[in-house]
Amino acid sequence: MSDEAVLKAINLVKIYSGGAVPVPAVRGVDLQVDAGEFVAVMGPSGSGKSTLVHMLGGLDSRTSGEIWLDGKRADTLSESAWALLRRKKIGFVFQFFNLVANMTVADNVELPALLAGASPREARERREDLLGALNLGDRADASPAQLSGGEQQRVALARALANQPSVLLADEPTGNLDSRNTRDVLRLLGRVHKDGQTIVMVTHDARVAALADRVVSLLDGEIVDDGRIARPRRRTVGEVIDLR
Amino acid sequence: MSTARAGSRWIRADLRARKGQATLTVLAVAGIVAALITAVTLLEDSTNPWRGLFAQTEGAHVWLYTRDNTAQLAGVQALDGVTATAGPYRSAPVTALQDGRREPASLRAMPATPPRVAHPAVVEGGWLDPAQPDGVVVERSFARELRLRIGAPFTVVALSGQRHTLYVRGIADSADQGFYPEWTPGLGWVLPEALDRIEPMLGRSEWVTGLRLADADAAQVVSQRVVVMLDDQLQRLYTWREIRAAMELDNRLLGTMLALFGVGGLVAAALALANAAGGRVLGQLRDLATLKSMGFTRGQVALLLLVEHGALGLIGVALGTVAGWAVTALAVGASSVAPIPVLTIVAGTALAVLAAVGVPAWRGGRTPPIPAAPSQPPGGRLSRLARLALLVRLPPALVLGTRDAFTRRVPAFLTVFGLAVPMMMITIGLGVWATLDNFARNPEQVGQHASLYVRPGKLEAAQAARLAGADRDVAAVYPGTDVNALAPGEGRSVRVRAVGGSASDRYPFPVVEGRMYAEPGEAVAGQGLLDLLGVKIGDRVRLTVGGSPLIVRVVGRTVEPDQDGEVLSVGLDSLAAKDSVPPEYYALALHPGAGRDEVAARLLAESGENLEVQAAVNPADRLAMIRVVIVALTAVLTLIGLANLLTASALGLRDHAADLAVLKAMGLTPRQVMATLVTGTGLLVVLGVVAGAAAGASVATGLIDLQGHTSGVGAGIGRPPSPVTLALAVLLAVGTALAVALIPARRAARAQVPITAR
Repeated sequence: MSDEAVLKAINLVKIYSGGAVPVPAVRGVDLQVDAGEFVAVMGPSGSGKSTLVHMLGGLDSRTSGEIWLDGKRADTLSESAWALLRRKKIGFVFQFFNLVANMTVADNVELPALLAGASPREARERREDLLGALNLGDRADASPAQLSGGEQQRVALARALANQPSVLLADEPTGNLDSRNTRDVLRLLGRVHKDGQTIVMVTHDARVAALADRVVSLLDGEIVDDGRIARPRRRTVGEVIDLR
Repeated sequence: MSTARAGSRWIRADLRARKGQATLTVLAVAGIVAALITAVTLLEDSTNPWRGLFAQTEGAHVWLYTRDNTAQLAGVQALDGVTATAGPYRSAPVTALQDGRREPASLRAMPATPPRVAHPAVVEGGWLDPAQPDGVVVERSFARELRLRIGAPFTVVALSGQRHTLYVRGIADSADQGFYPEWTPGLGWVLPEALDRIEPMLGRSEWVTGLRLADADAAQVVSQRVVVMLDDQLQRLYTWREIRAAMELDNRLLGTMLALFGVGGLVAAALALANAAGGRVLGQLRDLATLKSMGFTRGQVALLLLVEHGALGLIGVALGTVAGWAVTALAVGASSVAPIPVLTIVAGTALAVLAAVGVPAWRGGRTPPIPAAPSQPPGGRLSRLARLALLVRLPPALVLGTRDAFTRRVPAFLTVFGLAVPMMMITIGLGVWATLDNFARNPEQVGQHASLYVRPGKLEAAQAARLAGADRDVAAVYPGTDVNALAPGEGRSVRVRAVGGSASDRYPFPVVEGRMYAEPGEAVAGQGLLDLLGVKIGDRVRLTVGGSPLIVRVVGRTVEPDQDGEVLSVGLDSLAAKDSVPPEYYALALHPGAGRDEVAARLLAESGENLEVQAAVNPADRLAMIRVVIVALTAVLTLIGLANLLTASALGLRDHAADLAVLKAMGLTPRQVMATLVTGTGLLVVLGVVAGAAAGASVATGLIDLQGHTSGVGAGIGRPPSPVTLALAVLLAVGTALAVALIPARRAARAQVPITAR
């Protein structure tokens, strides 16, 4: 299995030492995410799940441990090298959408493609495809402030997928949405996952996590449970027997 | 390439979102650069017409005026370092009559073939022609003053009183003397035969000789040797330095003003830029983090910001360069814009711009890439003072606003300082304005107690004095004579103004240091003269007036706006009788409220047009251009202040947008919320404006006096702006600022603020 791992963390530790007392946020996490897997990271507030996902994407530095991305060690990279890596291999979706406020929807989605070296025309075609697929084709020239929360998150998703990243990291993507929009966004995530996209999603909502193949539970910075969800549609007699 | 493409998208979008602020930044920088370029061009020698004229006419470096055309002059021509001579030409003093005006002129005899050295450069018409013996070529500035055209009659009155009418054959440029009317008498060239006809008496004329030197710097040495060699033959002597100085007078003062304001403005503009860029970066921390999460590196984000904010500054620099070039080209001619100082300014301001935005850009680059990281203002607690203020029931909006004002120390300081600097410059500008007003309102404080000068003309001196004294509006009549004196060791002439008595009936010179002279043998001098001769108050000065020595003790310093302050003022009885009797003119002090022009007209009428009446030219009239400069610069400085204000207001709004919902929830009315926001910006504005006005008012007088000192007029002219003006300026600045801050605050207070994390 290990040769298939898209993302691997080995004994990952994060200790915030800014204040008077060092605060350990992540305490030795071992995690392996295989290609095409949809992993939900669950846990209560302060369990270190966001920190973990930020470290996996290089947004935050680790204190110790290793991170492997597509078979290459990534934790030793500099901040700039991480940035370059992110362009092609990692897509991020955040709780508060984080669309660039001054740019139109179209520009927001084209930006990562341009950054990854696509020509303006390629970027535009890709953006048209993505927005069309997300039913946002007619909102291309709108500014993010004119969109609803769900629409914004769909745009953010389009942006994260613009470069067909190796892994999509989503930090509470539905945390700021009402139930209808949550359903829309989750449906989209499910769709891209079915197309083979590897996804790591942080959530504290069990219903959201239920969409994933596998749920990793964090508590106080440690993995307390790591289980594959048995999916009703996939449930065969053999599998049930295997599991029990 | 890919980063550039993505970056340019971001920059374009961001600039589109803040068009107003961006335009303001560009305009402010452009204004400053234009002012600096204009300043340096005016200060640069090349704007001085002297250089061009001197080269064009192959001018002489030293001009000497002698009584005779004697053998001694040959010795002068053989002096070391003299490569060629012009003349000696015979020259006779006349009065030019034009449109009822009488202007002093001197006619110089020149041959029909122009000489090799110091040949006037004809700009219109032609040179003298033996076929037209009544032709005259007039120096350009003199011709312009008299509104003479080619072919026009040019009537002159010789010392004998006889009238002669000449016809203007040509108008020519010359580097032989300064421009009319700063340099009198005006100059005209005629054929020798014509001069013999107009002024047959050799004793009433003088001889003018120009020496061209191998080395311009040797002018001083050569002129000293000329003084020794010719001794009492020599009447006056000028070097190219005095002529150059006479031609550049106003440019220099304006240039200094512009440079002072430009440098102050540049500091203010750099601050405004840094503030704007810094505020913008603070406001965009989340967007920047998003960019980083997408794959922009730290360096690329910093570069992006540097390019965006730097580009605004650089566009400003470019626009300013064009504008500055256009202004100077219009004012002094395109050819005189000196490339090297202009390039220095462009490079310097560009560097200043990049340095100003560099720090915020670098800080923006260091934004952590986690977009959720809040960029909250530091310090969440109410200070003890604030709690006390709430306790004593000060309006909560005021207290909260005051607290908000200082939650971010560096931007608060930048805002205060960024408003204080333009306000200081504006206050200094108002001080200059007040000084000019003071010149105009109290001419006696700049040595113009007398507002009319009467020359006897055809009348007897005593008759003229009687006529002038009899007028009902004339308060006092001071007889006076201006003579040129040779300063020993200086090899050049200075002006000695003898007017009034030494002990009684003294002319009230504005003595600002030491005391007024009280007896013959004492004198007061302008700063320029003290500097020129290197003397202090209390020292003795020995000058030569027409061959006879004049030894006086300088007992005081006057404010002296004439001749770069190189004037020695004495009582008429300090001069030898041969120089002072009869007096050359009468200076008339009028009763307060008397109309100068009416008195002049009346005197002319009563004397049957035989008196020559001249009005004193107030220095404020000569410096009227400064007022235009002040207005223009005030506009630019206001732009800078506004740019700062927008930044402060945007930042305050952004920092407290989330608080607004809380404030409303706590029960503050929209009006109170608005007041909180306005107080936050307004307090910084008031601090900055008041500090700037106070600083400006305290340095304005000193700066103007310093300028007065260096220009020879002398310290003691500076006036601070009047308290009323200053208070009005402060109120206007604060009022405008509050009005500008009110608009976004109002919008924010009315808006439905969503309670979300930022």
